[in-house]
Amino acid sequence: MAIVAQSTRRGRISRATFAWIVGLLFFFPIFWMVLTSFKTDADAVKPEHLFFFTPTLENYLNMTENYDYWRFAQNSIITAVFATIFALAVGIPCAYAMAFNPARGTKDILMWMLSTKMLPAAAVLYPMTFLTKSLGLFDTKFLIIVVLMLINLPIVIWMLFTYFKEIPKEIIEAGQMDGVNTWGEVREILIPLAWGGIVSTALLCFIFCWNEAYWTVRLTTTDAATLSKLIEGNRAPEGLFFGRLSAVSTAAVGPIVVLGWFCQKQLVQGLTFGAVK
Amino acid sequence: MSNRRLPRLLQTPAVILLLIWMLVPLSMTLYFSFIRYVLNSLSRPEWTSPSLSNWRGFGNYNFVLNNKDFLLAIQNSLVIVCSILFLTVIFGILIAVLINKAFPGRGIVRVLLISPFFVMPAVNAVLWINMILDPVLGLQGIAVESINDVIDGLRTAPVVGGFFNLWPQIEPISFRATQTSAIAVIIMVTWQWTPFAVLIFMTSLQSEDQQQKEAAILDGASTWSMFRFLTLPHLGRPIAIVVMIQAIFHLSLYAEIEIVSRGNGNKNLPYLIGEFANNNIGAASATGIFAVILANIVAIFLLRMVGKTLME
Repeated sequence: MAIVAQSTRRGRISRATFAWIVGLLFFFPIFWMVLTSFKTDADAVKPEHLFFFTPTLENYLNMTENYDYWRFAQNSIITAVFATIFALAVGIPCAYAMAFNPARGTKDILMWMLSTKMLPAAAVLYPMTFLTKSLGLFDTKFLIIVVLMLINLPIVIWMLFTYFKEIPKEIIEAGQMDGVNTWGEVREILIPLAWGGIVSTALLCFIFCWNEAYWTVRLTTTDAATLSKLIEGNRAPEGLFFGRLSAVSTAAVGPIVVLGWFCQKQLVQGLTFGAVK
Repeated sequence: MSNRRLPRLLQTPAVILLLIWMLVPLSMTLYFSFIRYVLNSLSRPEWTSPSLSNWRGFGNYNFVLNNKDFLLAIQNSLVIVCSILFLTVIFGILIAVLINKAFPGRGIVRVLLISPFFVMPAVNAVLWINMILDPVLGLQGIAVESINDVIDGLRTAPVVGGFFNLWPQIEPISFRATQTSAIAVIIMVTWQWTPFAVLIFMTSLQSEDQQQKEAAILDGASTWSMFRFLTLPHLGRPIAIVVMIQAIFHLSLYAEIEIVSRGNGNKNLPYLIGEFANNNIGAASATGIFAVILANIVAIFLLRMVGKTLME
């Protein structure tokens, strides 16, 4: 084994270097966006100012003054938070029943739930717009919350289900013997035991809600418009204004990327759907 | 309350909500796909509101099938999804193997690597198509220009000048053209989803049997054969998961297509529906039904093959 260890010493160094290069390459577009957001629009397209320029906060100040960034951000936070809470409120009982009292059809129901996510949203966009407008729900936060909750519900239930399955049935049964009712079971046994899983499910759901850009763009105009709508409105013909564009983009993705950094371990666990240990 | 009835009661809210979410719009789409229904028509104002008297039978379906964009859109959808799946799995495995062993700063590299996954798809598209891939103002344009400048400078150099005189000027690629915009979409989505594949494969690699590997080293197995016969089979299940979850997300890819290929021929099925829906709701609905059928074929295939193994 000594020979192996020796011969790989140089290999280890080059491996580490290579890994760093790959990591930096993947991060580069984000770095570039943040860097450009501190350039003026004129500097942003000048090759001589690629890396050397006088940083400015102009773009950010502009953004909060002219675009009402905080209103969009506030809508994003409100809709994502409430959609996540409701998805958990509906998802936890469902996943609980499926994990601890599986019936014959449980697997099929789970599969069916996941398959609803494959339906192309564009196919039902027009009926949805028609319905929501006639119900007076168009461009309301309530509608966005409900839609975000529904599109993420299948993933939420799947993730919770895989976490709950890990909990030994005996623990739940012991609770039943002690005469604890179902609500008590969920509150005092299930939730504490699966807390880590519930938190990572919630985080992932929150991230997906935040990044959703199909319904949030098409079912809103102003009142319920989220950050993805702000990006939508800022992209096309103004392509030359890279500085401004970068600032808006950075402000839209920044919070969620930082959140992701802190919770990456939990997120990965959840995303494997319990099939990878 | 009996122990059997309660579980069913607990899952009803979720099931009913998803049923409504799926059935109500879908049945409306189905209805619209059989009638003549347009948003604006000066000559036939009666077509502008949905009504059974405008029944068209399979006319909308015929119209869509005969539309030259339709097959192209299906083909494009499949090419884009399959390329992304292929690339993310390959890159995912390579990078996961690369960073599987401890090295200085591994934690930071992991954080750098996962970041693209959290970027909003719309921002991803805007960022890549404008600031990186743009042939003039983007990094691509700047890089190509500076390479050309360097070569121009070298042409007058004493000895090697003759050699560089043979070099052509490099032309930057425009990623907004019909043929290339699909590539741009593939690049940006691969960038966003490779981190996801890396993290899943890495989690799986950490549970690989180390003793088996050491035994293989003692037996004189090469690195390649160890990868081929030990690591790759171990990754079977995670690959299945990566493929399934990505297929779910990429079949309905929209924001990237819309931002990159607005107005050119690079359409996928969701985008084509959006285009029809600008006026011809009947045709848009019929295309939607085709898209639902396509999604169902993929779903049955994937969920039967992959999903069941996840449940065990």
